[in-house]
Amino acid sequence: MVAKHSSNSIPFDSAPFDPDDARLSAYAMREFGSDELTSEEMAAVEALLARDPKALEFVQGLRETMRQLDRAFAAAEADGLSEAQRAAILAQASASAPTSSAPAKSRNAWSRRMRIALAAAIVVATVGGTLLVSQPWRDGAGLFFEVATSEGHAGQVPSLASKSSPEGRTVGLRALGYSDGQHSGSARDSLRELGYVFNLVQVDRPESGTEQYDSISEHAFRRTLDEARSTFSIDVDTASYANVRRHLRDGKLPSAGAVRIEELVNYFDYAYPQPTGSAPFSVTTDVLACPWDANRQLVRIGLKGREVHANERKDSHLVFLIDVSGSMSSEDKLPLVQRALRMLTEQLDVRDRVSIVVYAGNEGLVLEPTSGRERGAILEAIERLQSGGSTNGGAGIQLAYKVARQNFIEGGVNRVILCSDGDFNVGVTSRDELVKLVETERKSGVFLSVLGFGTGNLKDSQMEQLADKGNGAYAYIDSLAEARKVLVEQMSGTLETLAKDVKIQIEFNPAKVQAWRQIGYENRALEHQDFADDTKDAGEIGAGHTVTALYEIVPVGAPFEGLQVDGLRYQTPREPMPSDMAPSAFGDEWMFVKLRYKAPDGDVSRLFEHPVSGAPQAWTDAPLDARFAASVAAFGMKLRGSEHVSALSFAQIRQMATEALGRDERGWRVEFLDLVRRADELSH
Amino acid sequence: MHEPTWIHSALERHERALIAFAARIVGDLETAREVVQETFLKLCAARREEVEPKLVEWLFTTCRNAALDQRRRLGARGQRMEAHEMEEHPDPSSALSALETKDESARVLKLLARLPQKQREVLQLRFGGGLSYKQIASVTGDTVGNVGWLMHAGLKTLRERLSGGALQGRS
Repeated sequence: MVAKHSSNSIPFDSAPFDPDDARLSAYAMREFGSDELTSEEMAAVEALLARDPKALEFVQGLRETMRQLDRAFAAAEADGLSEAQRAAILAQASASAPTSSAPAKSRNAWSRRMRIALAAAIVVATVGGTLLVSQPWRDGAGLFFEVATSEGHAGQVPSLASKSSPEGRTVGLRALGYSDGQHSGSARDSLRELGYVFNLVQVDRPESGTEQYDSISEHAFRRTLDEARSTFSIDVDTASYANVRRHLRDGKLPSAGAVRIEELVNYFDYAYPQPTGSAPFSVTTDVLACPWDANRQLVRIGLKGREVHANERKDSHLVFLIDVSGSMSSEDKLPLVQRALRMLTEQLDVRDRVSIVVYAGNEGLVLEPTSGRERGAILEAIERLQSGGSTNGGAGIQLAYKVARQNFIEGGVNRVILCSDGDFNVGVTSRDELVKLVETERKSGVFLSVLGFGTGNLKDSQMEQLADKGNGAYAYIDSLAEARKVLVEQMSGTLETLAKDVKIQIEFNPAKVQAWRQIGYENRALEHQDFADDTKDAGEIGAGHTVTALYEIVPVGAPFEGLQVDGLRYQTPREPMPSDMAPSAFGDEWMFVKLRYKAPDGDVSRLFEHPVSGAPQAWTDAPLDARFAASVAAFGMKLRGSEHVSALSFAQIRQMATEALGRDERGWRVEFLDLVRRADELSH
Repeated sequence: MHEPTWIHSALERHERALIAFAARIVGDLETAREVVQETFLKLCAARREEVEPKLVEWLFTTCRNAALDQRRRLGARGQRMEAHEMEEHPDPSSALSALETKDESARVLKLLARLPQKQREVLQLRFGGGLSYKQIASVTGDTVGNVGWLMHAGLKTLRERLSGGALQGRS
């Protein structure tokens, strides 16, 4: 087999695959924060992987074994020293050594929370195993109660959404403890007895604990004559990919609502050119054959934010807002947050300031704004974090914003970074209220990023929405490797916003495009009139970020069944008529891309326009990057059960991606192949 | 910053990994805790400016030496432990596994215990302790190249055994 990009200067390049070559382990180990190879060795291994699928498979296998080891060691880690042993050491260290309390040992967050809730609240009624454990309270969104169901459902904490009652009064039920139909029903009865009206939103027992995902309905094909425009907001989140990966590694197929295709596609970097003009990003478009339907084509639109080198980074003030409630105690939550922050701290310098706000039952500032130069002090504050208690996300966020505003750096990066499993379970926690708060604060110039942690309780949809409204990205951190990607390798992109409210509007040319469909971005769709409306919020692009959007189009003349709709009574059915068509000068154009964006501190948007023309590229001639992106999109659609890709199997998707692997410095793309294989196995 | 804080944060950061590491040498958790306590008491006595630039290496080296001493002292018991490891129920980790829930982890640790001692040690220091190849080399007294080789050999064997010997390469 011949290498796609053979660089013939390195002798190793032509050497056959040797399973005893220790460099293969060292290469695979980079995911675990290890940096053992010279750049030449790295290039040699990459060349080998690109040309020999056996070697690729082998390295993937090693990486998997490393993950298993990593997990095994984490799971088997023993308790620390006894109190007496610690005391002896600290006494030895200094007579005046401050004795700090031992790390929280409670692994049973639920029973703690339950006890706290029960102790603090007034039992109003007891009906059929359901306790109302608080008096109703009112906030902006309506009335709230806390309800605990019987112990049997320990650990399951859904929030039941509230709905307006006929009198226009909103009454909500927040259940502590999983509410099955029967228990919710009795809770409702007891509330009614008390004279409150409320509508219960039934929550089915979710498959994976109480993780919450919004449902997504896939974009359908539209005929260009019915609808020539597509308008949406960009999205640089990547959380969905990490979350899908976690599901697959745990041996489960993710639920359809957890798969946001644009976040899968945008997880990867693509080699779009650096911007050259005054715009903070470049725009690249391709038209290529659609790998899952010979009668269609794919259009790829790629944005690339200007790279900002570490030494050009702006001054920053980062306020970490960390959830330290009992639910954060497991190994993949607070301890991982701490490891991630330690890694980030290593990157900071004199230009940076860091503050840490924690919240649980109460909120508190545990690190005053501290210069990045004082690494020791920051690290110490990180070490001291410990979990316990219930969660009041609302108050924590308010404090974090206050700290950020009081220490605002003009012209710099001012950002609150929320680290949580999203379980805002006490106090002012209606989703709408939080969103409103974040929107208000955004206007003060303080942006919000969200890092999601942990499993079983993840409020995915809420986390995404908060970051979206806060002009920030939402990343899901499932491993130290992911923390490294988000906080170290892509640090400037995560922190430094180049342009905000980036909106895209596309107009399709009916002379060339019969019908079209956007892939993904379902929850980013905008009204057409919002495109030019500068008061409407949209997504941000950070330094070095790439954003990719894909469309599936049916060219004029290709067979297309489309959706059959009954005819109209008052209008004559329209067929494409010459008068509908654009002048022939535009005859070669597939579509016209318009982009609006604002400077990070600007209020007025700028417009950027770009026609897309040219003959479509055959699949095998298309850029590897475009083919890889299409493979990732196909994977997402397949996971969602989309009928558009029913002709493709996971194995074929894996094949497509393997052939299009291209440059993969950090092993992310190889890892993708592993995920497709897992999905394939799980779907049989 | 004054000294006690320094010791305190070293303790918070490394005590668990050190205990797990020592437990695999001495065979039980209580002895491992004593060894680690001894290590930190030595740290208190050490000169900060000498130790701190290589704190991780220093801690693991000192802990390893103390643990090996302890095992020699407990002679018979240590050997019994070694003999056990060759059999089906190896597991010094069973003493550590109070928090262990997953079958997979148990299986990985079981297979790990069957690797040659040197391979096991480098894997533990890398994944349990988070040490780099270079740091490991300075703890075990090997060359960096040798650490890489031991690591690779151990991982390869583990991989083969975890996937039932179905991987490419001779098993």
